[in-house]
Amino acid sequence: MITVFFTMIRREIQEHKVAFIYAPFAVALVLCFVIASVYFGITDIQTNEFNFSTEIYDEDYQEAMLLASPEAKARVIRAGLIFLGLPILLTVGFGLLAYSLSTFADERKDKSLIFWRSMPVSDLTTVFSKLLFVIFIVPLLVMPNIILLQSVAMLSASIYFVSNDIVPFSYLWTSYFLTDWFRIIFSLWAQALWSLPIFLWLMFAGTYARRPVIGAAVPLVATIVLERIIFKTNEVWGFIDNRLGFWSRADSFPIALEEIRVVDISDIILMLSTQAFWIGMIASAILVAGIVYTRSTNNDYTVE
Amino acid sequence: MCSDLVIKATGVKKRYEDNYALDGIDIEVNSGQILGFIGPNGAGKSTFLQSVLGLINTEGNLEVLGLDPRKDRHKLLKEVCSITDVAVLPKWMTVDQVLNYVDGVHPGFDLKKCLAILSRTNIKRSSKIKTLSRGMVVQLHLSIVMSIDAKLLVLDEPTLGLDLVYRKEFYSQLIEDYYDGDKTILISTHQVEEIEGVLSNAIFMNQGRIVMQDSIESINKKFLELRPTQDSIERAKSLRPIHSRMELGREVFLYEDTEQDKLSEIGEVRPPIIADLFMAIMEKTRKGSET
Repeated sequence: MITVFFTMIRREIQEHKVAFIYAPFAVALVLCFVIASVYFGITDIQTNEFNFSTEIYDEDYQEAMLLASPEAKARVIRAGLIFLGLPILLTVGFGLLAYSLSTFADERKDKSLIFWRSMPVSDLTTVFSKLLFVIFIVPLLVMPNIILLQSVAMLSASIYFVSNDIVPFSYLWTSYFLTDWFRIIFSLWAQALWSLPIFLWLMFAGTYARRPVIGAAVPLVATIVLERIIFKTNEVWGFIDNRLGFWSRADSFPIALEEIRVVDISDIILMLSTQAFWIGMIASAILVAGIVYTRSTNNDYTVE
Repeated sequence: MCSDLVIKATGVKKRYEDNYALDGIDIEVNSGQILGFIGPNGAGKSTFLQSVLGLINTEGNLEVLGLDPRKDRHKLLKEVCSITDVAVLPKWMTVDQVLNYVDGVHPGFDLKKCLAILSRTNIKRSSKIKTLSRGMVVQLHLSIVMSIDAKLLVLDEPTLGLDLVYRKEFYSQLIEDYYDGDKTILISTHQVEEIEGVLSNAIFMNQGRIVMQDSIESINKKFLELRPTQDSIERAKSLRPIHSRMELGREVFLYEDTEQDKLSEIGEVRPPIIADLFMAIMEKTRKGSET
């Protein structure tokens, strides 16, 4: 069984390497290039809301850096690194939405479903392998890019600080926690579980709809509109909106996190203890059953 | 050749809205048979083969290798291989990737054997399937199937869209390199003339029903085709043929259960080709239902 799952996961990686290996890596490379360029004085990024430039390191700033408590210094550095990684996470997030919508639709469209189903792999195993890929494997594929980005950012900043005599080389590295890698990976796994009903809904549409985008959107829009008309409430949209965002920022999360920070493992445990999380899990279980049933019974290979 | 029961179908029905795609199919298939399903479009051939593979639900009783194909599809597919269309191998994969996939999920797949078969072709392991010609894809698919130690092989229009050379190659490779006398093969195809030489049994189907089923050996004994001499045509008609047709300006008669010696006296006698026999049986059935 482990060999079968390993094979199924390898197949997913091979099929979707552009979305989950090449695209995040390309984004990470661009970000690395931009960061290095800023620190080496080649360019800077200044907008009304955002300023990423070495000009900020004036005398006052340097003094504040040296006077900052270890905790404050660590908080700023960790938040900055998380912030830098957001474009990669957004790229993968869009990749996951596209993957979810296409994974069962594409196999119908090119009729490869006939080949997959000629192999002794049950529909349930196939669906679980895709879940395992979304929840567990994709976050692991993202991590090397995050680590690369953080390393380049830390190294570039350190070289800049040393060469400009701002702070010692060790300044940043003493506040860089390798354990944050684990926090990030656990947070991404938690995120995949939190957003799972959305991914599964899109997968479900791919198993039956001739136009998967319409198949996914129309029932949701209709439900949202009907709910507003009949009950004057907004629960369905609220559910979707929350699941598309970061789990630690959801309305149902017990702590209001105002600033960008690395989540603690205790935050994840807190999330697992919420009712909203388990409602999502129940919805996910129902959708898994629907996907297995529809994939095993639908012989319509027409997908536009 | 052993004769274990591989498929037992009793009263198998499949209905799509008001139409019966299968209308009470009763079949027993023994191991070692190479069984051809012959019939026009909509006869129910593919529907029956799909039900054997557990891809669709049917009414009635259907057992394949002692298993219910719908409930035990996963278990059944360890013993059953199929090619239902040549164009279903995932186009994004490389040859190596598809071989490694099958190796990883199919306990009966022999990768070394498959690579040995492929080495006799022009297929490169690094090639993407979408870059292979249709014929090469068939060779690849057949190589995979031939490397799986299965008891039953289901071929539903396996050579559709292939040119004559590849079609001939497909069947000759299948029989020479795959068939060992114990394996059972079910074949459905429109190109009946290309498979009749390899069949041990044939089933004629029309409108979801079995019109006739028998072994080729028995069919060849039971049915005879006569090309009478010009002056023997009236005598040939008096022997009550079940069907007659014109061939190059010459009348040809088909007989059922008629002594060969009687026919030999008045013309050239030979077993009918399956396609002609099918047409004759269909016409006979149609006339029977009209009277």
